[in-house]
Amino acid sequence: MNGFLEYVPGTSLLHRMNPVAKLLFAVLFAIMCFCTSNPIFLAAMLVFALALAASCGMMRQTFGLMKAVFVFSLILAILLIFTTPTGDRLVDLPWGYIGTGSIMAAITTILRLEAAAIPLFLTFYVTKMSDLSNSVVKVLHVPYKYAFTFASTVHFIPVFMNDMKGIMEAQTARGVEFDQGGIVNKIQLMVPLCVPLLVSSVRKTNSAAIAAEVRGFNLRTRESGYKQYPFAAHDVAALVLIVALMVVAILLH
Amino acid sequence: MRLVNGLLKPDEGEVLVDGVPTTQLKTSELARRVGFLFQNPDSQICCNTVREELLFGFHALKMDMDDAARRVDDIIDEFGFNPEDDPFLLNRGTRQLLALASIVVLETPVIVLDEPTTGLDFRECVKVMSIIRRLHEHGTTVIMVCHDMEVVADFAERVIVMSDGLVVDQGPTFEVLRNRHTLEAADLVPPQIVDISLALQLMSPTLADSAVAHANTLAEMRAAIEPNALAVPFEGVDR
Repeated sequence: MNGFLEYVPGTSLLHRMNPVAKLLFAVLFAIMCFCTSNPIFLAAMLVFALALAASCGMMRQTFGLMKAVFVFSLILAILLIFTTPTGDRLVDLPWGYIGTGSIMAAITTILRLEAAAIPLFLTFYVTKMSDLSNSVVKVLHVPYKYAFTFASTVHFIPVFMNDMKGIMEAQTARGVEFDQGGIVNKIQLMVPLCVPLLVSSVRKTNSAAIAAEVRGFNLRTRESGYKQYPFAAHDVAALVLIVALMVVAILLH
Repeated sequence: MRLVNGLLKPDEGEVLVDGVPTTQLKTSELARRVGFLFQNPDSQICCNTVREELLFGFHALKMDMDDAARRVDDIIDEFGFNPEDDPFLLNRGTRQLLALASIVVLETPVIVLDEPTTGLDFRECVKVMSIIRRLHEHGTTVIMVCHDMEVVADFAERVIVMSDGLVVDQGPTFEVLRNRHTLEAADLVPPQIVDISLALQLMSPTLADSAVAHANTLAEMRAAIEPNALAVPFEGVDR
């Protein structure tokens, strides 16, 4: 089973698209979601994003992501309900009121975050990290150093998650009860674990940096990569589609 | 390994520790009975000084701290640690020893070791294994995963050979290590002395029953080839 943000091999259209086109599409899609507050349009975009996920067989990963984003967006939505007194008055509060506008703002926020997140995360599941970093160097002329830094950061997320799991197992085996007590107790127990995680991440990063240096990292330029990343018709079509959707989003705003 | 200390619960069957199924005990309760040394000491070490690290288990298990301080002092003397050293600045071998010490200090009746000698030099390996042997002599049950057959031959009393998730063979160490089918099935290279004595068995039928062809340790091999102990002349060996 693949880990968080790890490439899942496949032959779908999304897999075959140019990595830069995928990245641009996902970024513009996220921006588009923030350009409009129309809940119907956002709901349609969420369905569109889910269709994209289904087209490349990533529904399991997408539902996992949606669950995580929902928790975060729900917190924001609750804040909005209590701090956005707009629309018809529904419930009076000491500092204002909850109105129909508050409810709509909360729903819009959840839809917006869910819709914006899916293509961004999908990009990582359908693109090899090496292709993503090499293509932004080749096509967008991003310095390799920055592309490598970004790729390494993403690459290390599942590694650190695995490390954290190992550290928690080790402490559980020593008698630490992570499943007991409230949230404060859990945080108190988790804080000491940040130390070994930090130490292990610094050690890993240092080793990776040394390994890169001795393999001529500083000699690498844009011309070093042999693989080319030409744009195909479907890449251009995807970019035209997202620009059109963005125009619609702005008009609907 | 994780089944023994309750990090994993069995889907079927049961794992008994002191006669109690692990499914009936919380992992923290099992931690009082089973000490677990992870392969990577950096997963385990989390405190700022060696002393704090050794006391960590007592805090986690809410044990008597007066007794803990005494036990920690004893362990520090036994292992030769500096109690104020920063664990993260120690070398790999010493960190492994510290991880082991933080398990040993809890005096659990069972300890489970996941490749305790990985990444250690010979001297560190001998030190770790000597401590483990001493624990066993004092009554601690030791379960160890190890891929180094020399270490297995030197220290294990009984082995279970696993390959592709299945038990291939089990029994007294040298019975298993001398079983050619087992060695082949698990792709194992036996310790050098066993390898030599097995080769001698194959070389000459006259040697097959000799002491030299059944030697498992260096001491046994030496005794077998000393002139007064040598039962079979070497002229028979066609090499």
